[in-house]
Amino acid sequence: MGGSLDYIWDGLITAVGLLVRLDPETFSAVAATVKVSSMSMGLSLIIGLPLGFALAQTRFPGRRAARTTVDTLLSLPTVVIGLLAYTFISRRGPLGGLELLFTLQGVALAQTFLALPIVISLTAAAVEGQDRRLRQTLLTLGASARQTARSTLWEARFAVLAAALAAYGRVVSEVGISMMVGGNIKWHTRTITTAIALETGKGEFGMGIALGVVLMIWAGILNLLLAWLKKRSEP
Amino acid sequence: MREVFHLSGLVQRYNGLTVLRVDELKIARAAILGLVGPNGSGKSSLLRILALIEPPAEGKVVFDGRPADFDSARDRRRVSLLLQDPYLLQRKVFDNVAYGPQVRGEKERLKERVAGALELVGLEPARFAHRSWRELSGGEAQRVALAARLVLRPEVLLLDEPTASVDAASAVLIKEAALAAVRGWGTTLVIASHDLAWLEEVADETIHLFEGRPVPGGLNNLLLGPWETDEKGRTGLRLADGQVILVPGQRGRAEPAVVDPARISVSLERPAAEPGLNLLQGLVTRLGLSLEGGRVTVTVSVGGLKLTAALDRRQVEALGLLPGREVWLGFAWADMTWLGQEPSPDQGGEVEVEKRAIRP
Repeated sequence: MGGSLDYIWDGLITAVGLLVRLDPETFSAVAATVKVSSMSMGLSLIIGLPLGFALAQTRFPGRRAARTTVDTLLSLPTVVIGLLAYTFISRRGPLGGLELLFTLQGVALAQTFLALPIVISLTAAAVEGQDRRLRQTLLTLGASARQTARSTLWEARFAVLAAALAAYGRVVSEVGISMMVGGNIKWHTRTITTAIALETGKGEFGMGIALGVVLMIWAGILNLLLAWLKKRSEP
Repeated sequence: MREVFHLSGLVQRYNGLTVLRVDELKIARAAILGLVGPNGSGKSSLLRILALIEPPAEGKVVFDGRPADFDSARDRRRVSLLLQDPYLLQRKVFDNVAYGPQVRGEKERLKERVAGALELVGLEPARFAHRSWRELSGGEAQRVALAARLVLRPEVLLLDEPTASVDAASAVLIKEAALAAVRGWGTTLVIASHDLAWLEEVADETIHLFEGRPVPGGLNNLLLGPWETDEKGRTGLRLADGQVILVPGQRGRAEPAVVDPARISVSLERPAAEPGLNLLQGLVTRLGLSLEGGRVTVTVSVGGLKLTAALDRRQVEALGLLPGREVWLGFAWADMTWLGQEPSPDQGGEVEVEKRAIRP
């Protein structure tokens, strides 16, 4: 029993050391995570916000089916997305020519499919949750269709931001896609989560714990932000 | 002058339910049109069509001589609607009022324009422009919403119950600001309101809506039943004092009907009974002046029911009508309009109208 506690204690001390002296390998993984999650979030917001708005505000045949599909995709396992992305961008796949396999861009592209349903679904819910009079007010004040969409998203900004943060939380903490599509290449595509998986496998708990602490602090800040935004969006 | 709106064959439906049916409506430029009717009578639906934010299910809407464009912002930007329960954007007062000019790309003298609009509705710009939408009372919010429309100097301003849920002081300011728009810029004003006294005072014309249809002659004399049929097959409405309004044919128990005030005769002596003529005795309670045609409205209390007749001023003088005077009212079956969906067939025949004609 005593031995196992020492083991964890040693890991913790190593972790603090790595964080305090800004260990390059540890912070390379942090930097890779920041880069890849920023790319995937940027892409999924650019695509997801207009689609979410359209899903909530426009009436078209198959809208209900589209909504159900998006909601189903919310629970898509990351390994399935990783698998699909791998087959598409591997050398023999249809997008093989883009040479995205084992690159951060490739991971970001695959993560976009993870974040997109969350952004679309929660944006649609945020827009649908807006007051019915908002649309009539914007129209009668002279807004065009595009201006109405933009102003509606702005009115729902706190709820939409909460949607973005929820998606971000999922992207930052996933391991399946990063491992399969990125290949966990040291100094290159190794992210916080893939590094933890690898170091734990090697029995190197220090770096694993250090990265875990970074990830948890990060997740904590995001959750605090989310709670604050939720409070702000209440009427 | 060419009318600003010409609607024809207009039908509006929600979920298959018809909520509005207007055969024809012309609105003259710079006119003030009043819309009156109980809740659910189609006033707001009509206003949303006139605001060009909701196309009708059927019919033609001609705006300024051309078919109205419901798809783009082009025509919509010449018209503005103040919703019954206005919505303020979650921004500062200034940004709420500046929103309309901003979406039109009008940036010049924006501060002065917003300040001018706020002054029109009695809100001091220095005190209010930088307040948040959260920091306003109901009346102030309504006035900010109106300022957001007035800043646009719309050709047509549509007001949906603008004074229904505000304090008396705000109501006065809102009314003044709306009339200032008509006087200053030749704005056409369409007002849906329960404030009949206000509409009587300012409106060039008032349309009464009931269950989605305009009612000729208005809703002053709305009879809601219950219509009862006696053992002799006569249908009528028994009033509190025992007098009965008889009607032809069989009617649904709650089938609504109206009597055109212009078709009700007033006399001091009991006129001779005629087939198909209702004669009722009552007490004059109020005399009023209607702007439409300059007629005098004589309100008579008949067995707890208020009936209004519209008379010529000379007639009123000749009869010496004053509140408190006992009079006889007469109206024929033909002057009653049934507002139910399926009219029942007329049966004709002689009708005797006298007290206690129908016995239980």
